[in-house]
Amino acid sequence: MKMVNVHASVNEELCKGCKTCEMVCPVYAIRVSKQEKEFDVDIDPKRCVGCWNCEQRCPEHAIEMKPCEPYVLSTDVTQFDYKEIEALCRKTRFHPKQLVCYCTGTRAEELAAAILSGARTPDALVLATGVGAGCGIECNQPILRFLESAGLSFERKKQSFQWYGRTITVWEVPSSLREEFPVFRFGEDQELFDRIINAPVEP
Amino acid sequence: MNGAPINPAALRDSQYGVDPKYVVKRGADLDGMTSVSLKELIPDMPSVIYPNGRGVSVIKEETERALASVDFSKIRPGHKVNILASHHGFTFLGGEPYAEMLRTIRDVVITETEAKEVRLRAGLGMRFRETEEYIKAHGLDEYFEGKALGIAPIDAGIPIETKLGTLYGLRKAYDADVIIHAHNSDVREVHFHRQVDRAIKPFGMSYARCETRSTYHMNMGPRGANFVARAIFESDFVQDKYGFSIFMIMSPQGVVNVDADNDLYALNDRTTVGGMKYYGKIISLFGEIDECIAILDFPCPVPYVFSAGVIYANMINANIDLFDLDNPLPPYTWYTETFYDDHGQPLIPEIPPVNPAIKMVVHNYAWTGYPAVFFAEKTPTIVVGEEQAKHFDRDPMNLNYMKHALLARNLDTAMAFAYETAGTDKVIIFDGATGGLNVSASLAEHLLKVAPSVCDHVENTLIPRWLDQRNMDISLMRAIP
Repeated sequence: MKMVNVHASVNEELCKGCKTCEMVCPVYAIRVSKQEKEFDVDIDPKRCVGCWNCEQRCPEHAIEMKPCEPYVLSTDVTQFDYKEIEALCRKTRFHPKQLVCYCTGTRAEELAAAILSGARTPDALVLATGVGAGCGIECNQPILRFLESAGLSFERKKQSFQWYGRTITVWEVPSSLREEFPVFRFGEDQELFDRIINAPVEP
Repeated sequence: MNGAPINPAALRDSQYGVDPKYVVKRGADLDGMTSVSLKELIPDMPSVIYPNGRGVSVIKEETERALASVDFSKIRPGHKVNILASHHGFTFLGGEPYAEMLRTIRDVVITETEAKEVRLRAGLGMRFRETEEYIKAHGLDEYFEGKALGIAPIDAGIPIETKLGTLYGLRKAYDADVIIHAHNSDVREVHFHRQVDRAIKPFGMSYARCETRSTYHMNMGPRGANFVARAIFESDFVQDKYGFSIFMIMSPQGVVNVDADNDLYALNDRTTVGGMKYYGKIISLFGEIDECIAILDFPCPVPYVFSAGVIYANMINANIDLFDLDNPLPPYTWYTETFYDDHGQPLIPEIPPVNPAIKMVVHNYAWTGYPAVFFAEKTPTIVVGEEQAKHFDRDPMNLNYMKHALLARNLDTAMAFAYETAGTDKVIIFDGATGGLNVSASLAEHLLKVAPSVCDHVENTLIPRWLDQRNMDISLMRAIP
């Protein structure tokens, strides 16, 4: 769940059309197009999640975050049989109550509920839960892992760098590396994760 | 014995903190505060070359000395060279020592080689303009002739094939023929790296895309994660570009020296044991504080504010020995944070609580741009000043911070409440004071009393255990200053 209390706004006089804002917006809310002598930057306020990525990366400092009427991005977990939520979380190797986003406080169960509600892509999950609208860094893999374990396939937009791909988890570390590098304690960390994932869900 | 409070580090104009004009009183200015020098607490603390009264010219000399033993032959005429740096280095001693090291590296590379371009690429954490601020503040853009750049984890990436499969670096970190790894050695985030491959870590962090960082913090586990950086560093892609490494070697008192090597693993061994030797005692001493009020008062996000040369995250974890690899989870790390449910209860009983000695936190000045709600959830927190509260309310990483913190109009009001509620008069101030730490008289007395036995325990029991867990020999310890 994330409260959105700011929206991006562009000063088109400063914009040089580099499209960085388009590339870092987690929900594709920004479109930059070239007009005759200047650039037109269209920011969809219905999609803007107030993450500040565009403001922080614009090389021309052309974007400002302005206060908006606050609203909340969230998906109601209770609309589904919790067993379905639990099953998808554990298949993704998360405990349902485990945090997947430190910034917004989004938990695994909410990502599962959003997918059960029809979210099919990373940007759809951001819009449905607010995940990824904080630092935009650490929840990257939980988002991709959830979509993959739900059996969803989706393609990265060419020239885009909102996300690249899912990476390895500790369960997939080859045995040769586990044996060669005991100081990293892959096996013990995997056991720790397994204890977390299989912990009961308290009401 | 105890002296007057040491001047705290200056606050800094930054978009991540409130305007320093709103900070009308520093923790060190409170009645009853005093200071203890690190040398008093830890007599074998190494000598430092900076601060030293001579200014940063000594850093230039030391960097030149360290680079004299480096083989530059990988850099050929016409090559483009990226000096890879990190934001953390700028948080030491006002940032100028690290900036001077970076300037000197550039000058020496140009002198020693016929490189076409020597650029600065400065990585960062979650405050995507932070290194831009440092570049500007230290005149690095001019020094690098317009070729100094902050690089963020959401910038364009590049896939890197590794022993762990495909991971992702930042395109602009690697858009050169040769890269130079220019970092610092303080243990800092020992809750993350656990003093395993500490010198390699930036390859999985500062120079890496969010996919890789998320792999580190979400996919691999609290100790296994540290292999991520090694996997990237050892990839053919990085090895093809890697030139050498150079580190500003830190102790809690300041800069010990500058160390450079073409062999990053040799440098890693030295920084690993150096970190234990220089920081093990002060962090263990923090673990002997039985009760305190912690004042945050430094230009960095909550976990990174400094006291006695170590960060607040080391204090909130001080009830567990983080160098001891048999301890799977620190009380605070991003793995631990995810292992609490929505009622604040640990998902499994063995999750260690955050340091119970911290009875209250008074947040006089610290930055946004790092998800800090966990700190306010787990330790009673008072934020000083409405402007600061509003600043946190606007930060997308901290929208819930003030839901768990109280607001006080000024520092005196906050402290009056803290003394009354926490029931202790022991105070520790994280204000970046150099050479010692600012504390209340009662805490000074406690620290001086317990320090000798802590130092003895670290020296004779803990360090041998830490080395043994990493298959390292005590002779390495003896070989460093």
